[in-house]
Amino acid sequence: MDQDRKAYRLVRLLTGGVTPVVLAAALLVFARLHDGAWEPGAQTAGICRELIAGTTEGRQALFGSCWVAPLPVLFYLPFAWLLPEPCAGWSAFFVAWLFVFWAVREAVKAAGHSGWRIVLAQSAIAGMMAVSRQPQALQIATALTAGLMLLAAAAVADWAAYRRLRDVVTAGASGAFLMLCGFPVFGPAGLAVMLLPFAACGDRETRVRFQAWLLLGGLPLVYTVGVWLLLNRLILGDAFFFLRSLGYLVPNPSLFLASVFAPGLLLAPALIVTWMCDARADKPGSGPVAATALLVSFACVLSACAKVLGFFGLGWNTVTLNVCALAVLMIALARLRQPLYRLALSLGLFVWLSASWFGGQVQPPAATAAPGKICGEVEAYVNARTPYGRVFVLGYAGMDLLRGYAGERLMPNMDLHVGSLRRAYKGQNLYVLVPRPAGTVRAESVFWKHPDIYAGGAERLLYAEEFGEWHLFEVVSAPTQEQLDEWKKAK
Amino acid sequence: MSDVTEQQGASQRTAASADPLELSRRRPDWSASQPLTRTQKIVMVSLAAALAAAFVVWPLKTAQGLIAVCTLFYVVMTLYKFVVIRASLSPSAILKFSASEIAAQEPRAWPLFSLLVPMYKEPETVKQMVASLAAMDYPADKKDVQILLEADDSVTLAAARALTMPPGFRVTEIPESFPRTKPKACNIGLHLATGEYLVIYDAEDLPEKDQLKKAVMAFEASPANVACVQSRLNYYNPRQNVLTRWFTAEYSAWFDLQLPGLAALGAVIPLGGTSNHFKTRILQELMGWDAYNVTEDCDLGVRLGRAGYTTRMLETTTWEEACSVFQFWIKQRTRWQKGYIQTWFVHMRQPLKLVKELGFVNFLHYQLLIGGVTFSVLVNPVFWAMALVWFVFRPEGAAQMFPGPVFAAGAVCLFLGNFVFIYINLLGCCKRKNDSLMWWALLTPVYWMMMSYSGWRAVIQFFRDPFVWEKTQHGLVKKG
Repeated sequence: MDQDRKAYRLVRLLTGGVTPVVLAAALLVFARLHDGAWEPGAQTAGICRELIAGTTEGRQALFGSCWVAPLPVLFYLPFAWLLPEPCAGWSAFFVAWLFVFWAVREAVKAAGHSGWRIVLAQSAIAGMMAVSRQPQALQIATALTAGLMLLAAAAVADWAAYRRLRDVVTAGASGAFLMLCGFPVFGPAGLAVMLLPFAACGDRETRVRFQAWLLLGGLPLVYTVGVWLLLNRLILGDAFFFLRSLGYLVPNPSLFLASVFAPGLLLAPALIVTWMCDARADKPGSGPVAATALLVSFACVLSACAKVLGFFGLGWNTVTLNVCALAVLMIALARLRQPLYRLALSLGLFVWLSASWFGGQVQPPAATAAPGKICGEVEAYVNARTPYGRVFVLGYAGMDLLRGYAGERLMPNMDLHVGSLRRAYKGQNLYVLVPRPAGTVRAESVFWKHPDIYAGGAERLLYAEEFGEWHLFEVVSAPTQEQLDEWKKAK
Repeated sequence: MSDVTEQQGASQRTAASADPLELSRRRPDWSASQPLTRTQKIVMVSLAAALAAAFVVWPLKTAQGLIAVCTLFYVVMTLYKFVVIRASLSPSAILKFSASEIAAQEPRAWPLFSLLVPMYKEPETVKQMVASLAAMDYPADKKDVQILLEADDSVTLAAARALTMPPGFRVTEIPESFPRTKPKACNIGLHLATGEYLVIYDAEDLPEKDQLKKAVMAFEASPANVACVQSRLNYYNPRQNVLTRWFTAEYSAWFDLQLPGLAALGAVIPLGGTSNHFKTRILQELMGWDAYNVTEDCDLGVRLGRAGYTTRMLETTTWEEACSVFQFWIKQRTRWQKGYIQTWFVHMRQPLKLVKELGFVNFLHYQLLIGGVTFSVLVNPVFWAMALVWFVFRPEGAAQMFPGPVFAAGAVCLFLGNFVFIYINLLGCCKRKNDSLMWWALLTPVYWMMMSYSGWRAVIQFFRDPFVWEKTQHGLVKKG
């Protein structure tokens, strides 16, 4: 008995402590040496900076777009608050990957496998990240999404296999947190939660409690969406502000939304397998076959979701979905009953294959001018024209640009209202700095409000100058009496 | 001592020879007979004065500090609930015995089991109570049932005497004395108890038939330091009205999730009012219940912890009657919350000693469970009002009181914390298979407001009438 307990403690320490810490530290070193992917993402750090400063722009940025996930920002916030920047980035990276390895442990553990299988699965995930050399794949947003996706997928599979209440709770909670990981995972999160009641339909005892599973599994997700809508209403004055970009980005939003959920059809065969297994079982819960079928189908759904986004020209963040798909497949593999050496071989082969597939998708980052240089040039341009100048840098790209900026001339702006700016800064010369609408920048609110602003400006906005990929516009307004007097004096 | 000798000894004891106030006499530091010590009064007045002075000198900074402290408290409470609920979902959180395991015990000699049933002015429930205890699956000659009735309760005494009591049942008259509380009656019952184990039931309780056997098996399967086994409580009238629905949801979450979670974590457990099974000897060692504490069960749970004993949860249910009338519910809840306040102050008389006796982790459990729950009930209305003002009026100055990180943490508590608490009730209903109550559990915030009202009522009563026992009215289910 004592020996069993000792062995149990040892396994717990190995899979829950030693291995995750070692692997997360190794990934941190790897990321630091290669491409600086340890950084939390410039936007995340920028939003945190504004949040800590208590600005309205920070709050608007936190909830203002379905493409910029609030969860990584909220995750990074305590690090940014407590630690100086490089340390904050490293710590956040380390903790995010600890979470992933803990999620792997939870996902494999439920199948009742030994500690070494968990260690192998954790090492395989770390190996995949290192071998694939995808900078985006290592960022904390991806790590958090992958960890939550693993928890959700494994919980749904375990629910189908064992019908434990805790799996419904885990799937529901993971689904809710996934909703905060950005639009690309909305579909898979919704599908994971919707699967819960349907997976229980194969057995009479659990089928009659359909509404209980639906409520328990779905409520966290519905509530999360409700809170997001409420905060948009409170902070940005429009409950659907964070979703408005969809109307601009895709010509037919209804078709697009239907397409996002269409990969759910891939789950149908797994559901049928689950029901068939249930029909044969004596007790509710159909065992590991159904679990494996669900995990594999779920990985296919994730991959299909990435394709759908790419089809509609929104494949900016498909790396995250692909990482999630590969991780889920790896978990499915690790949960299979097979000898340890065969598992090690198959996981190794899987890592190699996935890396070669993934490696083909690596795109070199576009060369852009340094943010500090652009800020300096804009400031110099404005200072040369007026001592009362103020430049509003638009959107999340602006947060990125202003990350290291310490001056007061340039300010972030998340929701452009020229009239409000003129009223708030009466007597000053106002400018607006607009990023080029390419890639993810297309989703910025300024472009669904003023689609042609970058090329032609907008009402009361007059083109002034170009700085790298940014266009500067001057806000046209009648001079105040004070300005006129000054001008007359100068003349 | 053998059963026979023990019984002979007990037969020589009488209610009059019992000392129901033994704890307050011998260990006044463990009793609520003195609600606040002199030191506690000085500390409280000093704190209030310091706070008032700080508000005068640095109003904004003081408000910011208080809000930050409360926000941190909410964050900790939310995380704590997460941990407890997660622990409750582990298979080891609760002791389970199947019907076949119980059957496999036979034939065997079951130990003598004392059952105490304190009653006061409840003549209508006597018959049902006797019937339900007589029907329990336990050898009749091994049951020692005492119906504890106050000497001045002529109606219930008459109803009890009119009944032909089954073997092993007896009526114990409690002599009139101050304080007139349930624990005082129980102490006399304990003095006269002859069983190796002892359990308390309320008059309207309907315990599961095999509960006593399960309790004995639980004690036998547990280490020697397990002094108490707590059964789960739930209600047999959940659908009577909206109040009983909420009450049932709350009880399901408390007894089916939170207490098992605490037991799994090895925490101090605030015992439920009934269906807690004890080793009689240990209970006598601890001098029974504190007659001055209006939640003597909660206090006893802490004292067990301080004495180095633990409590386990048992998978068996005692069905009770949920209070269905608002004013009675308020009175009952006021008593519970006042009792929690009493208990917190009693054990915080010597905080360092408490840390030493409970251990640091259990001390934290104690603070969050006994102090934290009460504190949150009292502070909630303030934060709800602030949130409402912010949503509706968006005052300019409000942002000043919430610096960046405090705002973020506060938002997380408001939106995540409150949801977690609602979700726990939902989960409790689901675990109880009370699916239709889950929709009602979504309206739990209204129930919280009622709790806050009774919480403040409890604070006022704690200072004005610390020993007043507002008795719960039973027997309303038939009228409903």
